[in-house]
Amino acid sequence: MAKKTYDLLFKLLLIGDSGVGKTCVLFRFSDDAFNTTFISTIGIDFKIKTVELQGKKIKLQIWDTAGQERFHTITTSYYRGAMGIMLVYDITNAKSFENISKWLRNIDEHANEDVERMLLGNKCDMEDKRVVLKAKGEQIAREHGIRFFETSAKANVNIEKAFLTLAEDILRKTPVKEPNSENVDISSGGGVTGWKSKCC
Amino acid sequence: MEDLDSSPELALEKDPFQLTVEDVYDISYVIGKDLLKIGGEPKGQSGRISDLQFKIVRVLELLEALVSQCNLNMEELKLERDNLKKEFERVLNEGARGDADQVNLGPDKQVIDLTDPDRPRFTLQELREVLQERNQLKAQLLVAQEELQCYKSGIIHPTEEQFVTIENDATASSTKRTAGNNEDYTVIKRLFSFRQGKHIGYCGF
Repeated sequence: MAKKTYDLLFKLLLIGDSGVGKTCVLFRFSDDAFNTTFISTIGIDFKIKTVELQGKKIKLQIWDTAGQERFHTITTSYYRGAMGIMLVYDITNAKSFENISKWLRNIDEHANEDVERMLLGNKCDMEDKRVVLKAKGEQIAREHGIRFFETSAKANVNIEKAFLTLAEDILRKTPVKEPNSENVDISSGGGVTGWKSKCC
Repeated sequence: MEDLDSSPELALEKDPFQLTVEDVYDISYVIGKDLLKIGGEPKGQSGRISDLQFKIVRVLELLEALVSQCNLNMEELKLERDNLKKEFERVLNEGARGDADQVNLGPDKQVIDLTDPDRPRFTLQELREVLQERNQLKAQLLVAQEELQCYKSGIIHPTEEQFVTIENDATASSTKRTAGNNEDYTVIKRLFSFRQGKHIGYCGF
C-alpha cells in the first residue's frame, strides 16, 4: 500500500575543522551551487538528496556539522546515527590536515563501529596556495584504510563522485532484506532496518 | 653649604634636631675662637684651659658623630617613607582597577559584561533543543514539499487510498508531537475527503 519515493535511506555526516568547506561541499552536491561568503554553521544542519544507484532510489540525509570546538558536544551526538562519515580538510590549511587524527579519534569514540569513512582534501582548485601534498592525503587515507578524494566545491571537482562512492560503499554493506529473493530488484520497501519504522 | 650671611654663631641657636655636621663645625669654630681669646689673658691658667680645650674638642667630636649619624638615619627614613608611599599608591590603584576582575577569576573562568547586548545568554542545552526543533521543522517541510510534488506530478491519484505515516527521520526526540500531528492531519484529511466524496491519501517517506 505504501507509496515510497525512495528504496533506501542513508544517513551521512560531514566533519572536519572549521572553514575547510564542509557546507560548501554539501551545497555543491545538493543544490549544485557555490557561495564564497563564509558563514559558520551553527551546531548542526542537514540536507536531503535522492540519488539512484544500482536501480535503487537512495535518499541521502546528509548532516553538516559545525567544525568549531564550541559545538563539539552537540555535533558528536550526531555521529551515532551516521552510516557514512566524510572527514574534510583544506589542502591550503596545514592545521586542518594535522587535525585529521583528532577527527578520526572522534569517529572511533562516537560513531558506529562499522561506519563507512572517507577523507576529502577540499579546495583543490587553489593550487597556488596548496600546503598539503596530494600524496600526504593519500598516505594517511591508506594508513587508515579509507577512501580519499581531492575535491573542490568551487570548481565542482569530485564532489558528486565522492558522495556516490560513499553511498555505493554503504549500499554494498547493506543486507538485502527481502525474503526468498536474492539478487532480485527490490522495487519498494526493504531498506535499512530501523530507519523507516513507525516509532520515530 | 655656605649660606650668604650666616654667621657661625647662628648654629648655636638652632633646634638640636635640625643640626647638621656643618653646624657642628661652626660651633667648634666659635668655641675655638673664644678659647683662643681666653688663652691670651692671664698666665698660669693656660694649662687648665688647654685641658678644657681637649675636653671640648672631644665633646664636639662626639656631637659631630651623633649629628652625622642622625642625619644619615633621617635620609634613609625619608627614602623609605617615599618608597612606601609610592608602593601604597600603586597597590591602591591596582586594587581599584582589578576589583571586578579578581572576584572569581580562576582558570577556565570568563567575565561577562552584562551591559553587552551581544553577550552569551543561552545554554548549550537550549541551543541543542532549538537546533533539533529547527531540523525537525525542516524535515517536515521537506516531507510536505515532496508530498506536494507527488500530487503535482500525478504519482498519487486522489482516488487511491493510501494511508501512510509521515516518518520523521531527522529527529528522534519528537515522537509524541509528530505522531499527534499526523493523527490530526489524518482526521482533517478524512473529513475533507468525506466532504469531497473522495478518499485522499498521502505519500510517506
